[in-house]
Amino acid sequence: MIFSTELLVQTVLSGLMVGVLYALMALGITFIYSIVKTINWAMGEFYMIGSYIQFVAVHYVLGARWWWLAAIISAAGTFLIGLILEPILIKPMYARPMQRRDDYATVVTIALLLLLRSLAVALGGPNQYRPESDLPVVWIGPLPQEGARVAAFVCALLALGIFWVVIKKTWVGLALRAAAQNRLAVQTSGVDVYRLDAIAFAIGVALAGLSGALLAPLFMVFPTNGAVTTVKGFEIIVIGGLGSIPGALIGGLLLGLVESLGAAFVSSPYQNVYGFLLVILVLIIRPNGLFGERGREA
Amino acid sequence: MQRRGVLGAASLLAVLVTLGFAPARAQQEPIVFGLITPLSPPGETALGQLAKRGAELGVDYINEKGGVLGRKVALSVHDSAGKNEQGVAAYRRLVSSEKAVAVFGFIHSGVNIAVNEVAKEMGVPTMGTQTGASDVTAKKYDIAFRTHAVDAPRAAAWLGWIQKNKWKRISVIAETTDYGIGLAKETEKQNKDKNLGLEIQTIMFDRTTTDLLPQLLQVKAFKPDAIVNIGVGQPLDLIITQAHTTGLLPGAQMVTSYDAPARPQFWQLHGDKGVGINFIAFYSPKSELSDLGKEFAKRYQAKFNEPPVYAALNGFANAIVFAEAIKTANSTEPKAMIKALEEGSFTGWSTSPLTFPRAEGPLWHNWSPPLMVLRYATKDQTPATAEVAYVLGQ
Repeated sequence: MIFSTELLVQTVLSGLMVGVLYALMALGITFIYSIVKTINWAMGEFYMIGSYIQFVAVHYVLGARWWWLAAIISAAGTFLIGLILEPILIKPMYARPMQRRDDYATVVTIALLLLLRSLAVALGGPNQYRPESDLPVVWIGPLPQEGARVAAFVCALLALGIFWVVIKKTWVGLALRAAAQNRLAVQTSGVDVYRLDAIAFAIGVALAGLSGALLAPLFMVFPTNGAVTTVKGFEIIVIGGLGSIPGALIGGLLLGLVESLGAAFVSSPYQNVYGFLLVILVLIIRPNGLFGERGREA
Repeated sequence: MQRRGVLGAASLLAVLVTLGFAPARAQQEPIVFGLITPLSPPGETALGQLAKRGAELGVDYINEKGGVLGRKVALSVHDSAGKNEQGVAAYRRLVSSEKAVAVFGFIHSGVNIAVNEVAKEMGVPTMGTQTGASDVTAKKYDIAFRTHAVDAPRAAAWLGWIQKNKWKRISVIAETTDYGIGLAKETEKQNKDKNLGLEIQTIMFDRTTTDLLPQLLQVKAFKPDAIVNIGVGQPLDLIITQAHTTGLLPGAQMVTSYDAPARPQFWQLHGDKGVGINFIAFYSPKSELSDLGKEFAKRYQAKFNEPPVYAALNGFANAIVFAEAIKTANSTEPKAMIKALEEGSFTGWSTSPLTFPRAEGPLWHNWSPPLMVLRYATKDQTPATAEVAYVLGQ
């Protein structure tokens, strides 16, 4: 392995850039969990849907210049799909008394994963596609970066900021935070928690769809492109703490850094292993994740 | 009374079956060829589709000519998705349930090698359509055949191209699969054995990695004259994209380890960044075809409105070779077919006849196509118009 200060700085920057993009995906998973108390195993498939919408919008309708509008359409599209699917698939878990809710959620979301992936193969074929991007290469210090990656990075930060404002400063955000703390109390206050569930699910999958749209010019569009990103998302929520929004951001940055530095300066074939080593380390030191809270049982 | 009637009919049916009606029907049943090829990700789906197209046209051709031993041939297609376990399950099903007598279509070496481990017990011969790792045939299993270039000539092709251009610093970036590891090792071995004096940097990566920027920054720091891209499918395209980002391309030369850029979607994926890419090819539309190859090319063009590429040609040839082997052996019994394949000489798409001798090492039961390096000098070129940058052996 070659080592130089410039290479180190380049690798750190590269890790931080990809880390923010990982965080966007993790945020969707952790947000849905904090409200609906459900792990959505099909999160990667919403990433995939977002990337396909981006490709179709840019390649066939809008053109490369309007990539940002296509990204908004992709996020809105996945939001709508989430809003439609949640009452059908997730709501029955709460609407009817049910033992083994977690098992139900796991089976339903894994079935959804398989359905969406098969639909993608049936509709778009197994080939790879890439939405055009006319953004020039940008130099960040000594690191050259695809314009699309820088745009994705900035948009991801912007999305995280908007998400924070919505959660902290709006009535819906207040209701969502209350539901995350105590569903029963919110329900007795006259708030429709089922509607909140649908909104939370839709916002979560829209974040995944936005990730897919932003990363489509970089990591391409194909039926299983969300699989690896989902794994990263779950690694991040273990590192940062399930249900913690700052944890998702810090976890994403840490994962991106560890993977990049490990691949560049330790051994490249084990790039994916370094993330798991970090997960194990965090689980040993802080079993609830860096920002996770210890669960309270009645 | 009614019950007695049903029992009587059942008894009559049993007698008819015993007396030979069932075997007579079996005589009319088609001979099954199995195709195990990647048709969904993470497999190399484009090549899988091409191999399938070729195999289907091959079976159509055989049936138009009267079939084999008076029976039609049917093709049963199974998706390996590039996963070893899925390929093995498909082989077991083909042989046990569908009674396939020959299995081909393999694109991923790992799948082919894993299937061969089962095939050596179950006995039905396999043929690697586009699998390059030595171990596909080097284990010298009776059932293992292949119509593709193995590691040694392939590495020799890009090393010859590098020597021709007098380059000295070479980066090999390869995935950690049987295919990638085999080719990376073979490149280093030939550099040493042939005393080529090249300075080689080898970087391996996991093929599920979505971001190869850290690896390519290392490559950039090495300042290579040429880069050998040994990714398959999505990683291959990711390396091209990110090599441009880091500024490695277009400064250095890049050669891909197989003919992925011959796929129709190459220019959609890469646009201007595809210009200057070199790739190993086993067939160029400028290559001379056998009469059978010309017939196939005509049919392929008519059906798909594009000229055939190598994976399709090989898928076609595999079906034809197995059909001819059955005719020669006058049997679908695996041992007789294997003997016919070993001793026969068959016509495929190339003017060079296909033979499968019991040779040493990976050349066991192996027919190797001609090897060349093609180069895209301008955007939207096809393999037919690409420059021939190097031909192995010339």
